[in-house]
Amino acid sequence: MSITYEDLCKAAQQCLVTAGSSYTPDRLAAYEKAASAEKNDNARWFLQLMLENAQIAQREKLPLCDDTGTPHVLLRIGEQCALPAGWLKAIREGVAAGLLTLPGRPMAVKGDGVQRVEQSQGLFENSDALEHAPVITRSVPGDKLDLAVLMLGGGPEIRARTRRIFHKRSMEKVIGEVAGWLSEEVSLLGCTPAIPAIGIGRSQVEASALMLEAMADGDLSRQNEWERKVVDAVNATNVGPLGLGGRFTVMGCFLKIGPTRASGVRIVSARPCCLVEPRVGKATLG
Amino acid sequence: MLTLTTPLGKKDVADLKVGDQVMLMGRILCGRDAVLPKIVKMLETNDPGLEKLGLEGSVIFHTAVSCAGIGPTSSNKVEIEGSIPALSAGGVRMHLGKGALKPETVEAMRANGSCFAVTTPTTALFSYRTTSQRVLAFPEEGMEALYEIEVTGLPVIIAAVNGETMFAK
Repeated sequence: MSITYEDLCKAAQQCLVTAGSSYTPDRLAAYEKAASAEKNDNARWFLQLMLENAQIAQREKLPLCDDTGTPHVLLRIGEQCALPAGWLKAIREGVAAGLLTLPGRPMAVKGDGVQRVEQSQGLFENSDALEHAPVITRSVPGDKLDLAVLMLGGGPEIRARTRRIFHKRSMEKVIGEVAGWLSEEVSLLGCTPAIPAIGIGRSQVEASALMLEAMADGDLSRQNEWERKVVDAVNATNVGPLGLGGRFTVMGCFLKIGPTRASGVRIVSARPCCLVEPRVGKATLG
Repeated sequence: MLTLTTPLGKKDVADLKVGDQVMLMGRILCGRDAVLPKIVKMLETNDPGLEKLGLEGSVIFHTAVSCAGIGPTSSNKVEIEGSIPALSAGGVRMHLGKGALKPETVEAMRANGSCFAVTTPTTALFSYRTTSQRVLAFPEEGMEALYEIEVTGLPVIIAAVNGETMFAK
């Protein structure tokens, strides 16, 4: 089935609203389980508030969090997939429409480069002034287009790191070091329980893109041994929900390993996604 | 669970303990990175505009206010945490946000009879419990302006008070 300009635009809009206003079923199930299992009274109270918030947000299509995030778009384009003329523009229009619908927080900064850095000219008043980040594309077998819109908030951005690890030919070494970074950052994050997303690649750009793919694809009901090692290490900090102490500092971990190069170094991007993240909306077209 | 209605007195704060669950009612100020240093500057210069802000007994929620709603930002960002000592001396009784604060900030709050509470980014829930909102100062900052809102029940946990903090444990 051919993909039209309008299909793409509408799918991007719907994905953004879904990302900003709902949890995936695996996440809801995990949080419900945590709220039942948590022994710390305050931590349990906050987990219950979080679930109430999720119900209201999903029912009313309201933002889960007021930091609605910066839109990021991930496309997996089938090798036989035909896209309409102006397909990137269609996605941009759909993202803008989604920001108006959700609504996204109007936080785009006015001015030229330096003015934007210094935030000296104020903010745009309209939600759709917020541009999405550069689109990440992958070529995949088939004739479909898989679209994912992710909304990345500011809190986890402050606590994320992308840097090198001297791996010494040991996955244990790499995962141990990343778990150490995350354990340092989670108490300052505030909005725990977190879900760390980790990308391992050859460059800072590639590792960050892999981290975004980990956010898009991750599923709390499917955790491999390395993801579980990160979870166990970070949960040992006992930071707990909202830093109140307790068992659930992180709910799981999403890891994506890309190509590597002949080197003693791996480049790793790790983001402690906060309790409303990863915010992802997905659609398949074609 | 305790219920506290603003404005808060020093005794209200002194009676609190780390870990107390509190439902806040009434008028709450909302400000973050952009405006809190500006209010500190007003305090330093004894700006006549301070009167209309009503800092005495206030709660300042570290949040933007926009069509998307409200929710806590990280209180340990430099411009926010750096403003807490001066705002406490200026009459603010509760700073509300998220994340761990430094021991020196906790001590400054103790010395000035203020406290720190944390809350969740439960924006949809807060939207249901906010009855009014208006810009109080610095409208040029958009969503980061100083806002005044009225709430019918904002759930918080006391994270630092009377020199004690849950983050040191």
